[in-house]
Amino acid sequence: MSDKEIPYRKVKKMLEEIVDTLGEKKEYLNRLDAEIGDGDHGRTVFETFEKALDKIKLEEKDSDVGTLLKEVGRTIAFSGGAATGPLFGTAFIEAGKAIEGKSEIKLGDWLRSVKAAEEGIKKRGRAQVGEKTMLDTIHWVSESLQKSVDEKESLEKALIRAEKAAQEGMESTRDIVSKRGRSSRLGERTKGHLDPGATSSYYIFSSIIKNCLD
Amino acid sequence: MLKKFINDPEKVVDEMLEGFLEAHGNRIKRLETSRAVVRREAPIKGKVGLVTGGGSGHKPAFIGYVGEGLMDGVAVGNIFASPSAQQIHDTVKAVDGGKGVLCVLGNYSGDIMNFDMASDMAKEEGIKVEQVIINDDVGSGSRDQMKNRRGVAGEVVVWKLIGAKAAEGANLEEVKKVAEKANANTRSMGVAHSPCAVPSMKYGGEETFHLGEDEMEIGVGHHGEPGVEKTKMKTADEVTQILAEKVLEDLPFKTADEVNVLISGLGSTALLELYIVYRKLAQILKKRKIKIYRSYIGEFFTSLEMGGFSITLTRLDDELKRLLDAPANSPLFVQA
Repeated sequence: MSDKEIPYRKVKKMLEEIVDTLGEKKEYLNRLDAEIGDGDHGRTVFETFEKALDKIKLEEKDSDVGTLLKEVGRTIAFSGGAATGPLFGTAFIEAGKAIEGKSEIKLGDWLRSVKAAEEGIKKRGRAQVGEKTMLDTIHWVSESLQKSVDEKESLEKALIRAEKAAQEGMESTRDIVSKRGRSSRLGERTKGHLDPGATSSYYIFSSIIKNCLD
Repeated sequence: MLKKFINDPEKVVDEMLEGFLEAHGNRIKRLETSRAVVRREAPIKGKVGLVTGGGSGHKPAFIGYVGEGLMDGVAVGNIFASPSAQQIHDTVKAVDGGKGVLCVLGNYSGDIMNFDMASDMAKEEGIKVEQVIINDDVGSGSRDQMKNRRGVAGEVVVWKLIGAKAAEGANLEEVKKVAEKANANTRSMGVAHSPCAVPSMKYGGEETFHLGEDEMEIGVGHHGEPGVEKTKMKTADEVTQILAEKVLEDLPFKTADEVNVLISGLGSTALLELYIVYRKLAQILKKRKIKIYRSYIGEFFTSLEMGGFSITLTRLDDELKRLLDAPANSPLFVQA
């Protein structure tokens, strides 16, 4: 096996990890969604990432991680459907673009990549932080990474910290009144419920980090 | 839980589509590349292609309206979830007869993102694509929040009108103008006394919202989104009065206006009840000296098995009247 295949194997393993986790949490995410939406979020995100895993091709094995993430993002964005396809897809496309061509992903690259994903979601979903969406998870992550960069932390420490931040971001949606998507029509009634998109985003992010720390 | 006759909650859309194609395959076909339905003769040379799409669960919308004098193609999403950009893109491509394609969609964030991306993809391939977003639902926002209003049964009226316009041989600009005019002159509002359920179990699914035995939701959305008010049950006349007033005052519709009326059952409300509603609505319009030019009463845009109905009024001018009267022939909508 050549060194060049390493990025491909990494990204593929990362996707497998995400699909496994989302498979385990499918019913839970469906239930969360049923509280403030229509109850299919778990199934939708699971199928979306399963499709992306199916499609990631061996011919792309010579690509770097950034390019591969971009390709994964394109599959998710164009074939995912629902609101989640375009949003998660855009996140991966932008995250990939930000680190295209890099052979080694350092802490600064992580920050750039996550920030790009955050901006991409904002633009695609015409959303802002604090509206009870997946942005709330990802924003806590980018803030945490920024702090780690400022404090010159090691990559490992920064990723462990970012994972915790993702969880806190997800938890923060419990107190927010929804302002975006279908749940926004429930207004005050959304208070006290976790946002399903912020929750699946946490699982996805957590899987990515777990995969990188292995 | 609400009971349903299904086999597997994850296969309802595919199995429905198999049955639909078996029944109507002489007039429509499924794309090989994507879950989408187009007219058998698509693409039609020299005619603007018309595409819509959205989540499933709204029969006869959306696929029931693929046919002559109506839509050319529909991208079929999962229950209440937008089809993917890929599906929409493939549909657009399949119906482009060289005169461009108009996409008409309801105002939902998922649909908008996917249609946007699909349009970008099609444009990159040199296809002329325009888009009109329908937002006729008075129950989903005040007049100054028009941009946030959902698209509901008014979409059917828009499809009928642009279908006729495109069939006349109009160009993309002209068809788009009719869609915008129709949308600007259409207002709807719904009410429900019982919920629907997205299939999630072997024999059914969980209710998407809850209403007490004696309650109803005024302004309910097509997926069970809450409306303007949850209130005690009222009689047909009382409910019709409330909905009609909200709809009439919003545009506003005025004396001497000529309108199309569309009353659509939401899935499990009897036609008997819909005619009782129509009776009252006709009385109200007569009193205000608003003339009913045409009326459609039945199930045109449902929400699975939701109990309730919606009222849609469209103000007509000569062009819209002509287009409304034009023949149409699709699997679930026929007008001689």
